[in-house]
Amino acid sequence: MNSTATATRQDVLTTPASAPISTTAHRDVLAVHQLCKRFGTGETAVQANDHIDLTVRSGEIVCLLGHNGAGKSTLVNQVVGLTLPDSGTVNLSGVDAVADPATARTLASVQAQSNVPITGLTPRQAIELVGRIRGLPKKAAQTRAAELLTNLDLTAWADKSSEKVSGGVARLTAFAMAAVAPGTLVVLDEPTNDVDPVRRRLLWQEMRRVADSGAGVLVVTHNVHEAEKVVDYVVLLDEGRVVTRGTPTDLVTNNPGETLEDVYITLVGEQASASAE
Amino acid sequence: MTTLASPSAQTPSALATSDQATSTQAPPTMPQPHPSSANTLAHPGRAGTLAQIGLLIQWQARRAGDMLPFAFIMQIVMAVATIFGFGLLIGDPPAMAARHLATGATTVTLIMLGLVLAPQITAQSKTEGSFDWLRTLPVPRWVFMVADLSLWTLIALPGAAIGALLGAWHFNVSLSVSPWIVVAVPLVALISATVGFSMALLLKPAMAQLMTQFIVFIVLLFSPISFPAANLPGWLAEVHQWLPFQPMAEMIRATLMSDEFSMPLRSVIVLVVWTVLAVVGATRALSQRN
Repeated sequence: MNSTATATRQDVLTTPASAPISTTAHRDVLAVHQLCKRFGTGETAVQANDHIDLTVRSGEIVCLLGHNGAGKSTLVNQVVGLTLPDSGTVNLSGVDAVADPATARTLASVQAQSNVPITGLTPRQAIELVGRIRGLPKKAAQTRAAELLTNLDLTAWADKSSEKVSGGVARLTAFAMAAVAPGTLVVLDEPTNDVDPVRRRLLWQEMRRVADSGAGVLVVTHNVHEAEKVVDYVVLLDEGRVVTRGTPTDLVTNNPGETLEDVYITLVGEQASASAE
Repeated sequence: MTTLASPSAQTPSALATSDQATSTQAPPTMPQPHPSSANTLAHPGRAGTLAQIGLLIQWQARRAGDMLPFAFIMQIVMAVATIFGFGLLIGDPPAMAARHLATGATTVTLIMLGLVLAPQITAQSKTEGSFDWLRTLPVPRWVFMVADLSLWTLIALPGAAIGALLGAWHFNVSLSVSPWIVVAVPLVALISATVGFSMALLLKPAMAQLMTQFIVFIVLLFSPISFPAANLPGWLAEVHQWLPFQPMAEMIRATLMSDEFSMPLRSVIVLVVWTVLAVVGATRALSQRN
């Protein structure tokens, strides 16, 4: 692990929870500024993202929370170059990801919201192949795949045909495909879906390891309870806008409720009621 | 909850320390974390272009694993059906018609694979979601296309070869194979697959599937592949001057029976234009953002 990342991670974790997370040594791997995206026209148009600002630093896990349709996946798709923003900027480790999505793709690895079918492949083969496509030498890809399979407790399924594995194992395999050669940013869209509680714990631990290795992690999840214990920073979206942001501790301290889930329900519930009126 | 890798509970120094911290929190049944190499992976190198093409072919071939034998067999069946089917319709053909029928099967199998199977596979990957995920990989768009086209061309080759041999035997004609066959067959497969691929990318999946049915109908019954263009009504013969099917058939015929047929320059130009249009269309579609 590089010494800068170690030092900055230490800074973040030893800083009082209420203090700003930013340090000058912490490298921004993702900076989203005033991002807007609208789908459709006229009365049926949906403002999926409305002037969103977001930063992910190396060594940091940033969690995007929000209802279905809050604009989380739209935001993620703009970061990885699948969707073109209407306005705003996406800067990925110094690269303008809107103008140069090809270079941005070399910097970010992605776990998509829906499972990537790997019919015909075993989990190990899929992880290794993606590692090699992302630029790892063969031996390194094999070593890294074995490491991920062990850490996620997938060795029993590692060499089974993907048709014979459960949805949860397929989901973890998709996570491993994103984590095998993580680049500077790892984007995970609902990685815990279908995963059993024991392996969800292993998944969060592995996510932390990826961040500790120097990458930034942007994770979209509905698993608020578990995310609260692991992530460094939370951005709460509703109807395309950022409702609130902060460390989990900050959010719980500064809002009514005892847990992040309480805060989520209070804030997003209020927003939803207001918009309904 | 203390068993999760809470940032506040975790020693945030080196990975080894991090692993140690998490492993002591985990229940005994959990696997011990593997000594992580993640620190060396944050900035992986970039695979060479040729290596990426090879790896993507490997990915797609393994993904299509179950379907590959079926595709091979269907190619052969298509060649056999074209030869014997037209033979039934026409009976004992005169010499010129026999030459068209004998070489037509090869062209039909190549076109069918590219224009029918390629868009179906692509439309399926769009529907199931793997298409978008593949587009997040750090691979140039044209490399995706080359990998897919290479695979489909390889699938087309056995059917094309068997079609030529069977056609010559059934219609009792002699082949005079030109060395240019090694260029012509992959080229026709490539152009067909590029057009089919573009169609799948530019149209919605259901529309692409319907379009393939339409093309099968046109190719088999209304294209001067297995019969001379002179058999068609004047207006349709004129339309085929601008479509890629007739030039493809001419190219295959000119290389399988080089003693008797040649490739008109105009047909070469039409094929080149179609290739350029299809490649540009497919590349644009692959780069498209919502």
